[in-house]
Amino acid sequence: MSEELRVSPIETREMPGKRRFAMVVDTRRCIGCMACQVACKAEYDTPLGVNRTWVPYKVVGKYPNVKKQFLPRLCNHCDDPPCVRNCPVGATYKHEDGGFVLQRYERCIGCRSCMAACPYNARFMLPSHRTYTPITNVVDKCTFCFHRVTQNLVPACVQTCIGRARVFGDLNDPTSEVSYLVAKNATQVLRPEEGTKPHVFYIGADRNQTEFGRDAYRKPEVMELERSAFKRHFDI
Amino acid sequence: MGDYVWFHDVSWHATYAIYFFVIGICAGLSFLSYGTWRTEALRPLREKAAWGSFALLVVGGLLLIGDLSQPLRFFNILNPAFLNFTSPLAWGALNIVAFGIASVLYLAALRQGNEVRGKLLATIAALLALGLPIYTGYDLTVHQSRPVWNTPVMPVLFVALAVASGSAVGAILAGANQAAQKLLREYMLWSTGAVGVILISILGTTNYGGAAQELTFMLMTTGTMGLIFVGIGVVAGTAAPIALLLAPFGRQQMGAVLAGVLVLAGGAALRYALLMGPQQLQTLY
Repeated sequence: MSEELRVSPIETREMPGKRRFAMVVDTRRCIGCMACQVACKAEYDTPLGVNRTWVPYKVVGKYPNVKKQFLPRLCNHCDDPPCVRNCPVGATYKHEDGGFVLQRYERCIGCRSCMAACPYNARFMLPSHRTYTPITNVVDKCTFCFHRVTQNLVPACVQTCIGRARVFGDLNDPTSEVSYLVAKNATQVLRPEEGTKPHVFYIGADRNQTEFGRDAYRKPEVMELERSAFKRHFDI
Repeated sequence: MGDYVWFHDVSWHATYAIYFFVIGICAGLSFLSYGTWRTEALRPLREKAAWGSFALLVVGGLLLIGDLSQPLRFFNILNPAFLNFTSPLAWGALNIVAFGIASVLYLAALRQGNEVRGKLLATIAALLALGLPIYTGYDLTVHQSRPVWNTPVMPVLFVALAVASGSAVGAILAGANQAAQKLLREYMLWSTGAVGVILISILGTTNYGGAAQELTFMLMTTGTMGLIFVGIGVVAGTAAPIALLLAPFGRQQMGAVLAGVLVLAGGAALRYALLMGPQQLQTLY
């Protein structure tokens, strides 16, 4: 069977004549300033407790030689996204030009099956009350700043990244920076075994963070302390 | 220490587990009502099982709709222009609606005393009822990234749980009817045995899997979740009723009713643990 026949019909990577946007996150350049998270919050009025992009970190090494290893996270805009397959009403769909995985808010019934399907926990339920926008009680996620990209701008997180750790562009364009970075560097994606073909590529990521559930190995009482602190923080 | 972990919310909360429990009994009672047309011993349960099944369908439907964050958009799922047939939820919604219609027609036939139509509609309702536990299991199975859920035996487990729960409620409803109790005891024994076998296979393969499976096994067999899953679900709700039904006391009415209560408690605990346990890991990633 030829390669063309083996790919899923909704995939757009390496499809001639089609754009396929991707993000490269160079973790060697990330300083953990969280400016991307703040820019994203400002762009979308994302409420407290939920984020379209977030930057977890791990302290690695042994004192005194320790460092923080950051791993910026966001929707991976997979080439074969399970959330699209799982949405019963077609509220989640893949945009043919650019491969953005987007949400039709007016259709979403809030069944959260897309949240369960996403291997990256990139989706969240918008709470009932928001400050500036009437869109509530539906599932939301990163859109790769679709509205900005269609106006030839880069996503807000990329625009604001002080260390140029985030690079965005068309992976199907061989002259783009993302194509160059993916071709010339050893890159990782999150949970490749899921077969979703993510479009967020990491350079220099720590394997202990890209894999599933390593935190569960930590002491339960420490996890409980952190979880209660987290909840307390977002209840303010 | 000092790491910055982002804690995610689980996708499906306990309401969904209660829905699984209620809809399982609903399907089981529908099977039982159909069984009354095949086996004379179950005849006294025909109307009771049919009405019970319908009442639980209403409760289950309300739970399911209430659990949506946009309950009024439930109708979106019945809109042919929106339906996405790759989603098990879409099939489930169609199945529930079709089962509801068949149940109403069946109840009407029973009230009219129309035997021919009643038997036909009982068969249709039972077939559609079979789809209810299958789709609820399938709903979990399709999630490729979730340990325990992502196994093809999940729909089979839910069917076995539905038969066990339906028989348990039947045993409670049958009262002093010896002939019905004898048959329901057999149903309960074999279906609970099937649940036990499937649970062993799920636990075995989960413990044998990769890091995520191993961690989920650990989460599901220790602490509070361990008490619910292993303590109430496996020991008190599966092993104990089997032992009870095999003992001489299990052949008496009280024994069968006690076994029924244990099966129901176990069924509720298993559905809760199977829904919530595998989601704990996703809150940490």
